[in-house]
Amino acid sequence: MNEILFSNPVIVYLLSELILFVLLLIAFIISIRVLIHWDFESFSPLQFKLEQQAYLVTTITLFVFSMKFLLLLYFAFTVDSLASLIAGAMCSAGVIDANEYGSPLLALKLLILFGLTLWIWVNFYDLRTKNYQWFKEKSWIFMVMFIFITIELLLDFTYFTHIDTHQPVSCCSALFGQLEGANPLPFGLNISTLLILFYLLFALVILTLLTHQSLLYIVANILFLYIAYFAVVYFFGTYIYELPTHKCPFCMLQKEYHYVGYLLWISLFLGSYIGINSAITALWLKEENQASIKIVMSLLSFFVLLCSTYVAVYYFKNGVLL
Amino acid sequence: MLNNAFFHFLTLQLFKERSKHIGIIIISVLILFLLSSVLFISSSLRHSLNETLQVQPDFVISKVQGGENRATPLTWSNELLNIYGITHVSPRVYGRYFFKSKAKSFLIVGVDFLDEQAHKNLQKLIENIDIKTFLTQNSMLVGEGVKEYLAHNFYDKSYNFLTPKGEFKTVKIFQTLPTKTNLIGNDMMIMPMDLAREILGYGEDEVTDIGFNVPNPDEWTMINDKVSALHYDVRVVNKKEVQQSYEHLYNYKGGVFLMLFLILLSTFMLILYQRYSMVHSNERRHIGLLRALGWSIHDVLKLKLLETLSIVFISFILGVVTAYIYVFIFSAPLLKELFLGGQNLTSTIKFTPVLDFSVLSSIFFIYALPFISAVLIPVWRVAITDPKEAML
Repeated sequence: MNEILFSNPVIVYLLSELILFVLLLIAFIISIRVLIHWDFESFSPLQFKLEQQAYLVTTITLFVFSMKFLLLLYFAFTVDSLASLIAGAMCSAGVIDANEYGSPLLALKLLILFGLTLWIWVNFYDLRTKNYQWFKEKSWIFMVMFIFITIELLLDFTYFTHIDTHQPVSCCSALFGQLEGANPLPFGLNISTLLILFYLLFALVILTLLTHQSLLYIVANILFLYIAYFAVVYFFGTYIYELPTHKCPFCMLQKEYHYVGYLLWISLFLGSYIGINSAITALWLKEENQASIKIVMSLLSFFVLLCSTYVAVYYFKNGVLL
Repeated sequence: MLNNAFFHFLTLQLFKERSKHIGIIIISVLILFLLSSVLFISSSLRHSLNETLQVQPDFVISKVQGGENRATPLTWSNELLNIYGITHVSPRVYGRYFFKSKAKSFLIVGVDFLDEQAHKNLQKLIENIDIKTFLTQNSMLVGEGVKEYLAHNFYDKSYNFLTPKGEFKTVKIFQTLPTKTNLIGNDMMIMPMDLAREILGYGEDEVTDIGFNVPNPDEWTMINDKVSALHYDVRVVNKKEVQQSYEHLYNYKGGVFLMLFLILLSTFMLILYQRYSMVHSNERRHIGLLRALGWSIHDVLKLKLLETLSIVFISFILGVVTAYIYVFIFSAPLLKELFLGGQNLTSTIKFTPVLDFSVLSSIFFIYALPFISAVLIPVWRVAITDPKEAML
């Protein structure tokens, strides 16, 4: 038997995912029926029954979503705790790379979280209308998400059962750091242009948010998300670790750095997800929400501020930059 | 809907139906108590072991013959010193000494009290002792378990060791080790290295093994290869391997427990499902009344779910707090035997309180998530009660 499966967090994590999946499966079966027979104009007993069942689907999905968000954090933590069991791994980077399922799983998790935030958004508008105007749209999003979550569950199990504790893996500095002169940054950027782009994109995101340029905003925010990832790994991260050669998106989740990574990545991803989703619904359902703009602005500004503070503090302490 | 009046109503509701909830809360607290105690013990032990490992040498080499450790020649330590990158080479002498009945054993650890490096690791243990008087005669420091066992067998002041040569060696009990070190120090006897050699039957230029440090972690694999190439009969063990095997051991113990716990958990879920599906006609009428007063299904659902959440949180806090008191204040009677094994000297361990995010979130996920999942559907079924039907 694989030793990894005895690790307590892994047992807890897999169990939680399994239970949530069973709930979702029930919701999925119900919502297929609901989607086929749904007709809001009808006064048949069937329609009344369907409306009642729709409540169950909504409740389950809301519950699963909130748990999925917590479970993603728990997953990051679980993977981190495995680092000491696997030869060569010093943080999650190595563990995620321990087999070919790790990175797709992580990407899928982020995608699912995005889809679920979109669902929450549409659900929010749907509940505000008296006639369940967006019910079909909401259900379709749920269907698609269910397929993704099924794949995710399969990947979860294949990933954890296929980790080999004896085969050495690379540590983060091997994965992100020394690439023998090759430039890891996209579009042929270097560090200074990366930073200029980072701050410019941030400004663009804020401007488009304030002027309600939804389409432009979506493009800007996706680009910002992409650039921010590289900026954190290759520039801001080095200030968090206070070591110019330490380039890793995962190590900052550890205790040595006061778990600042959780704060950093949550503010970035949550901010972007909320923003993009509210822009999508603005274009699609023609519904606007002023509160979300404020939330997005504060989350993203917090992210940028936190990153910059690390550089500033380092400069004040040591009088030089790395 | 989420305003003061609503929460007031929720509290009143909880109080009014307390007899219904109390059973669930008691079972939950019991389950949580068992689960949290085990996880607390396991994480506390792991923490203490990790702390102990921190001060251990990075590498340990010893001579092997047929897969068994043999006495290691002291000359090897000089060869190690010649390798660039190795620091703090410290030969160690230790071993088990079996008490005459062979049922119990002590761990004898020889320490070079004049060596600065060995001294530093022991600093905390021997802070209060006067080394000069300690070294003038044959004396030793003993763990609490040893002290107790010897006193029980009428060795109050000193103990007569029987060396492999058949001679008796009287060693004075100088002092007991601090209680904090009980996890490793309970059955330990610390004495000067030459004395330990004599009692354990090592020759003058022999040691049990040799520890050394490699400060740069990037050099670990390379040093490993170099040292392995020095002799054909050398075994090299590094700290990470030791840590891994400890981790495996405790994961295994906790993991087996958790897997058995899953059976309990599924029973618990089933009970919850049944419990929440059974709805009194009284309660149905209650819901019907609320619906007739203009509450939507959504509001009733919210009320019922918040009710469940309150129960989950109340029992979560109660369970975790009692487990905390049981483990860290009363040091977990009965349960700790599962983790420590009490065959040898009885140990009186105080667990170091470790309460981190990981343990708490694990407890939350394995308890609250199944709980809420089990009651979602029954709660929904109650919430959609038709007002007209309920009033009949």
